[in-house]
Amino acid sequence: MTRIIVVTSGKGGVGKTTVSANLGMALAKINRQVALIDADFGLRNLDLLLGLENRIVYTAVEVLAKECRLEQALVKDKRQPSLVLLPAAQNRNKDAVSPEQMKSLVSSLAPKYQYVFIDSPAGIELGFKNAIAPAQEALIVTTPEISSVRDADRVVGLLEAEGIKKMHLIINRIRPVMVKANDMMSVQDVQELLAIPLIGVIPDDERVIVSTNRGEPLVLAENPSLAGIAFENIARRLEGETVEFLDLDVPGDNILAKLRKLLWTKIV
Amino acid sequence: MDAHAATPDKSSDSALELAESLPHEANVEVNASPASSDAIEVGTSSDSLSVDIESNSALTNLSGNELGLPEHRINNNFSIQLKTEAGRFLLILPTESQVPAAEFNWSEFCQQLKQRLSARERWLKPQTMLHLISADRLLDTRQFQELSQALNNFQIQLKSVTTWRRQTAIAAVTSGYSVEQQPQELSLSSAPQTAIAPLADALYLETTVRSGVDIRHPGTVVILGDINPGGTVVADGDILVWGRLRGIAHAGAAGNPQCVIMALQMEPTQLRIADAIARAPEKSLVQFFPEVAHTTPQGICITRASGFSRSQLSKIEQ
Repeated sequence: MTRIIVVTSGKGGVGKTTVSANLGMALAKINRQVALIDADFGLRNLDLLLGLENRIVYTAVEVLAKECRLEQALVKDKRQPSLVLLPAAQNRNKDAVSPEQMKSLVSSLAPKYQYVFIDSPAGIELGFKNAIAPAQEALIVTTPEISSVRDADRVVGLLEAEGIKKMHLIINRIRPVMVKANDMMSVQDVQELLAIPLIGVIPDDERVIVSTNRGEPLVLAENPSLAGIAFENIARRLEGETVEFLDLDVPGDNILAKLRKLLWTKIV
Repeated sequence: MDAHAATPDKSSDSALELAESLPHEANVEVNASPASSDAIEVGTSSDSLSVDIESNSALTNLSGNELGLPEHRINNNFSIQLKTEAGRFLLILPTESQVPAAEFNWSEFCQQLKQRLSARERWLKPQTMLHLISADRLLDTRQFQELSQALNNFQIQLKSVTTWRRQTAIAAVTSGYSVEQQPQELSLSSAPQTAIAPLADALYLETTVRSGVDIRHPGTVVILGDINPGGTVVADGDILVWGRLRGIAHAGAAGNPQCVIMALQMEPTQLRIADAIARAPEKSLVQFFPEVAHTTPQGICITRASGFSRSQLSKIEQ
């Protein structure tokens, strides 16, 4: 049974594409067949994060226009052969596809893969509707900022209305020191508001920027960073494993430790 | 929500105005009121622990007229209605006199329908037959198709369509639904809006009212869940929230100042009762109790639910 998961957030710049690239790669590393679909037509980025830009020949738009076969458009990853990318067209905009076309695209892709991730564009307009149309479940990415959480809340409401009930929350770019100083929303604050199960907390990490610019997902690094480990843990949780949440604690403090304990009790 | 949007010369006067001296307008232009909310905190953000009845109030009353709201007032609390009547599950669309055709957005309507259905999913039985009352609204086959798709997600089947419009009837028949075509007559729903309509049945929803969701109902609303920041509930009757109220709640939107807002945890962005507006104190509270917001001559007050007894209610009514 293929899991078709949309990665979405509402607000832009919170890390949807980074999450898609790293989760896809982490799952491919444990030998799952993974397809990543870039649904951000006109503003595609996923290929850059994966370092696959120069291998793109055809895009989803050409597949839909029947100018090529689906297999021709799929870009196999250079490091993990079980990962493929279906790139979006860069020279078109969101009107280039409809929700029905996305559904047919995903349904023809699904049988060969265990995971299909759809990287949604920001916003709640047609691009977003295209991205969520084929999805069975959703990963909501948010940063611990009030604007990002508010937008995520809106998106959760829209997904619920579309009948996508299986949703998990990823809190990205958390800075434990700032949370401790009460300068940043805590994991608990965000979770309390959005009221969907948490699947991962990713610490803010400069190496994310480096990895983006190099086209090398964090999870491929020799000595993985905390953020990289967080992504791997999310992948394992998607697989159904129970993985303890990372110790993002700053030394000499146990407020977070208490908080995490509180959180563990709520997580399946 | 800009609380300081109104012109400064008016804010000073209106803030001192007492509720009693204000003309109670029947229909508040709800969409316009945010702009008019030059709400000034006149209440004290006193400690909620005090047993004092009026524990944490921060409010001012504003009249729509003073702030230059448009004269033609539309009661825009009309939205779709789902109800059971004489054993039939009905979906009633707002008539064109309630929501003009130009303002009727079909995709928003579908969204609203899905939200309402999911909010009562626990009580929906599969293969329920739904009867659509579209009255004088024009619907085409594509819209019927979208409607039945939305309903299918909840295992509900569209059975019949009641309409006054010929084109809608034809579209419904083409789509395979039975049609009851009625001539347009002066029924209750098509009566001019000046007629005093009784309050609609209470709307009971099991849902989190999330950011961007707007629930409007010409009666009392009961929410089993939270109202998140950015979410709005506007009711002509009372609003009961069995959860946290962090968004905007407007009770008595048709102008009844005796309506109340109750919540297990009261942290609203803004509270409105009839034409009074209050906003929460800047300082967030540490402890929360079930609370009731009601109007007094001084404006909106929040009282601990435990102290808000029957006698209190009857005092308000006087």
